[in-house]
Amino acid sequence: MLTIEAAGGNIAVRLPVGAMVIAFVLLLANLAVATLSVTSGSFDLSLGDVWNTLTGTPPTDMAVTIVWEFRIPRLLVAILVGMLLALSGAVLQYVTANPLADPSLVGVSQGAALAVVMAIVVFLGTTGFALPALAFVGGLAAAALIQILTYSRRGDEPLRFILTGIGVAALIGAVISTVLTYGDIDRVMSALTWLAGSLHSVSSSELQWLFVTALVIVTLLIFAVRALSALRFGPELATGLGLQVRLVRALLILLSVGLAAGAVAAVGPLGFVGLVAPHIARRLTRAGVGLQLVLTALTGGLMVSAADLIGRAAFGDVQLPAGIVTAAIGVPVLIIVLFKGHSK
Amino acid sequence: MTRGQGILTGAAFWLSLGGVLLAFLWHISIGAKAIPIGTVWDAFTAFRDDEFDHMVVRNFRLPRALFSITVGASLAVAGALMQGVTRNPLADPSILGLTSGATCAVIIGIGWFGLAGTAYVPFFAAIGALAGAALVWGIASIIPGGSTPLTLILAGVAVTAFLGTIQSAAILLNQEVFSGFRVWLTGSMAMGDMDTYLWALPWFGAGLIAALLIARQVTALAMGEEAATGLGVNPARIKIIALLSVTALSAAAVAIAGPLGLVRLVIPHVVRLFIGWDYRLIVPFCAVVGGGYMLVVDTVARIVLAPAEISTGLITVVLGALVFIWLVRARL
Repeated sequence: MLTIEAAGGNIAVRLPVGAMVIAFVLLLANLAVATLSVTSGSFDLSLGDVWNTLTGTPPTDMAVTIVWEFRIPRLLVAILVGMLLALSGAVLQYVTANPLADPSLVGVSQGAALAVVMAIVVFLGTTGFALPALAFVGGLAAAALIQILTYSRRGDEPLRFILTGIGVAALIGAVISTVLTYGDIDRVMSALTWLAGSLHSVSSSELQWLFVTALVIVTLLIFAVRALSALRFGPELATGLGLQVRLVRALLILLSVGLAAGAVAAVGPLGFVGLVAPHIARRLTRAGVGLQLVLTALTGGLMVSAADLIGRAAFGDVQLPAGIVTAAIGVPVLIIVLFKGHSK
Repeated sequence: MTRGQGILTGAAFWLSLGGVLLAFLWHISIGAKAIPIGTVWDAFTAFRDDEFDHMVVRNFRLPRALFSITVGASLAVAGALMQGVTRNPLADPSILGLTSGATCAVIIGIGWFGLAGTAYVPFFAAIGALAGAALVWGIASIIPGGSTPLTLILAGVAVTAFLGTIQSAAILLNQEVFSGFRVWLTGSMAMGDMDTYLWALPWFGAGLIAALLIARQVTALAMGEEAATGLGVNPARIKIIALLSVTALSAAAVAIAGPLGLVRLVIPHVVRLFIGWDYRLIVPFCAVVGGGYMLVVDTVARIVLAPAEISTGLITVVLGALVFIWLVRARL
């Protein structure tokens, strides 16, 4: 809180200094992981080499290829995916007023995954822009199915949405398992790597796709911030504030699905980022919805880029997919965060 | 219960037992070579070791039928207990972390520590199931707002997903193990072997007996904790016994057939539809009907794509998920 002395007396201007500082710290942490990430790998490059490559005086031609075609796209994809998933989870948690809502728990990620697994295993590996588009359609179809099954004139809609989502997720999961169990083993292994949420094969086409998605949906999200703030007070008060709660909720869920599907399309279902990142951001500080979303996005980006770094650097020859690392770190963190919240 | 109802219930019980026997014979008679039901009957009543069909029935088809019955019975009883104790119609050990805990423990135990001895399998499964359940309940109870049915289920789904990723990490880091586990992981009767089955049987028996012993108290508990306390039931004690019983039953099922999801939702609800809310009846009926259900599902799994077969678990998940979605629509 900043107090400014003015001529006629005190005017209190509410400036969330604390939250801004934390946002800055998160940004620095992102940069630190980024630095580590571009310099580490099987081909040795010092920070100076990377810097020279970026500024146009590369030490070797090899360095140009490695930095511009492998490490930078991979890093940016990791950060963008993390941001999209974190935002998706945050929106879903606001809309359903449930701290455990997450796109990967309610069938959206599974819908996207089914579309991609079918493409890889049954239809002989589609590539390029077709894969993300398929995942997007799959995720939206799953969400639409859940929404249709949820629709009813009575009762607690967010609750039914989540529970129906879990049922649909189980159903789609069974179909995915069928494809994985009886498909050709080589194609299944490549589908399985994708399913575990791996960034090892990202290219600039995924990056372009993610960038466009992020740009479009985040713009939409900026318009939704007011509605989200109103919804926080509960459906009755939000209606009183002039919100068409049902319509807004449906639109926000659609937005959340879009965010998740965009991310899943690029790298596969990365679990737990959408669940955990909003909680961490909330524990760091309290802020208005808009700033909170910025913090959540930064946390998500940090989570995924750090997970990818750990996954490819920490286990020697074996590259562990980032999705496995996010889950392995995310769940204990979630438990600690929830526990802290309880003991207060 | 009036006397007329008692006779009716008794008749229904024997009738379903007869149905299970029919399903059992049908299950055995179907296969790569169809064996007439009469011959199947003879294989048990008038066995001759020079008859080829009799050998097939006894050595290949009988084990699989026994696996199906045991797994179906243990899953249905576990589901019924879980729903009664938590008073949550959607409670299912595979949602509440037990199945994935057991699966994860078995994979890590066999794949990583190389403990291939069949005696260990149910043991690992039990420890894993208990750990999974503890994790779910722990998370659900520390969430602000307490362990409502929804938080319990969401925590369960989160833990299941978490254990699932640990599983895939274990598999990705050790791919030779994976090819052996591929079918087991979707839940199949085809992978079990008689050795594991015999080791799992005591777990099944203990779980079933415990379930029968606490059935009366579970009925009271299903009416609400205050009512149960008023009737002289100690809710905490019954809950712990129920959890141990469910753990033993789930461990036996996972050891035999791998993770079969969502079976436990279907049978208890069907049984309750006909029998009502008395767990002294629900538990035995669930055991019988569950066994029969699994026999039929496993028979269907072998017929649909013959000569190939679908994993039994995939069919049960599809049916279970449909019932789950329907329950959400009907009850909420």
